[in-house]
Amino acid sequence: MLNIQTRQEGTSSVVSIQGKVNFEVTAQLRDVIRETVATAQPKLLAINLEGVSFIDSSGLGLLVAARNSVDKSGGKLHLCCLPAPVKKTFDQTNLTNYFSIFATEQDALRGA
Amino acid sequence: MAKGVVLVVDDEASIRDILSFYLKRAGYQVLTAGNGQEALEEMARSRPDLIISDLRMPEMSGDELCKRVKSDPATRDVYFIILSALDGTASRIGGLSLGADDMIPKPFHAQEVLAKVESTFRLIAMQKEIKRQNKELTAFQERVREEMELAAALQMGLLPKLPGEAPSVRYTHCYLPASGIGGDIYAVLPLPDGCTAMMIADVSGHGVTAALISAMVKTSFENQVRQGGEPLAWAQGMNEDLCRSTLAEQFATAWLGHLDPVTNHLRYVVAGHCAPLRIAGGAKGGLQRSEVLRGKGFMLGLDPQLPFMEHDAEFLPGDRLVLYTDGLVEVEREDRTMLEEAGLRRICAELPAGAEEAADAVIAQTRAFNQPATFGDDVTLVILDRKN
Repeated sequence: MLNIQTRQEGTSSVVSIQGKVNFEVTAQLRDVIRETVATAQPKLLAINLEGVSFIDSSGLGLLVAARNSVDKSGGKLHLCCLPAPVKKTFDQTNLTNYFSIFATEQDALRGA
Repeated sequence: MAKGVVLVVDDEASIRDILSFYLKRAGYQVLTAGNGQEALEEMARSRPDLIISDLRMPEMSGDELCKRVKSDPATRDVYFIILSALDGTASRIGGLSLGADDMIPKPFHAQEVLAKVESTFRLIAMQKEIKRQNKELTAFQERVREEMELAAALQMGLLPKLPGEAPSVRYTHCYLPASGIGGDIYAVLPLPDGCTAMMIADVSGHGVTAALISAMVKTSFENQVRQGGEPLAWAQGMNEDLCRSTLAEQFATAWLGHLDPVTNHLRYVVAGHCAPLRIAGGAKGGLQRSEVLRGKGFMLGLDPQLPFMEHDAEFLPGDRLVLYTDGLVEVEREDRTMLEEAGLRRICAELPAGAEEAADAVIAQTRAFNQPATFGDDVTLVILDRKN
């Protein structure tokens, strides 16, 4: 099980994830993201990955799908606080260049 | 139609009569027996749903009858209620430990017995329904299992036949799907000009969907290679194919390579996949140093517009290439560490000659490292040796 927290910051939603993001938990995370986007309809969805120790390809797939769906609805998805192992996975898959990635949550919310 | 069949066993005719009267009036079919022996004879002729039996009877007591009914697989499921003058918790436990399903203390009210019979039949009905559903589920599961086995066999058929051989390379694989069928695939294709095309891919997720997409990835790769061109063009074409035909969260990481045995150049594209290892002179085995064929690029299937990059490395006769999917190095151990690329390189620092022996050694040492954890994701390892 992942520990997932969501909160609202004005017109932005923040989803903070803690744990290992792999095939077993993608359904759980997908539901939270879907619900957040549907109910809050945020202009900006920030996903804080600070507590993520590992992410596998299904986790990456989920984030990409989230970005694509937020894009379609005219919103933005920002990622922030990638720990070193997660950063490595993003680099390897070149996703560092696919997402807007920020060092801190404040930066992600500011969209700097 | 009767609501069910009750066998009343008691040596006192008056009790048999009272119970028969009430039960028949309530719509049950009633059979009677004067002792355990008669009850067994009755059961040989007909099949009650429920037995209500006295304990103390001549010839065969109620506890002996209960033991026999409950120890015979053919009658084990028949509900057994003991009627007993021995009141109190001790005898109640005694009766239930014989295997009886319930007890009614004597003296009893006929209404009490009736209420218990009614509730028992509700239970019996529920049990029958559960058994029926269970049977259906088991049959369904069996069908699914058979189809999965068939699918797994078909998928094995998509992998190259071993031992693998192309004009300039010799190779083998270890393919360990996480759940019968998996999302890993690889291919080695000899080209008309003497070159060799290679691909290894890992589709996100597990199971049937991933397996279907992996078959698609292979077909797409073969189509691209047939059209000629280079790994860069293959990656772009495969990416477009996958974007067109997969759903939101389905992607594949892949590594695509083109070996020219004349120039000894290996051109490759990394599409989000684990970088392979090259071991110079590795085919002869022994102590060696591996290098990582670095490169980065997007996974296939994200967006048809994304660019890829081609890289170039030397691959000489006698060199060895280790291709793998992340399931090999990403097993979390009890101490929360994983083998990772660095660990795989340590294992590859000394491997036997012969691709099969080397592959076996890598898998064995990886398993030893992970223990007691086991592979949880699809695992594919390909050892490819350049012929001398």
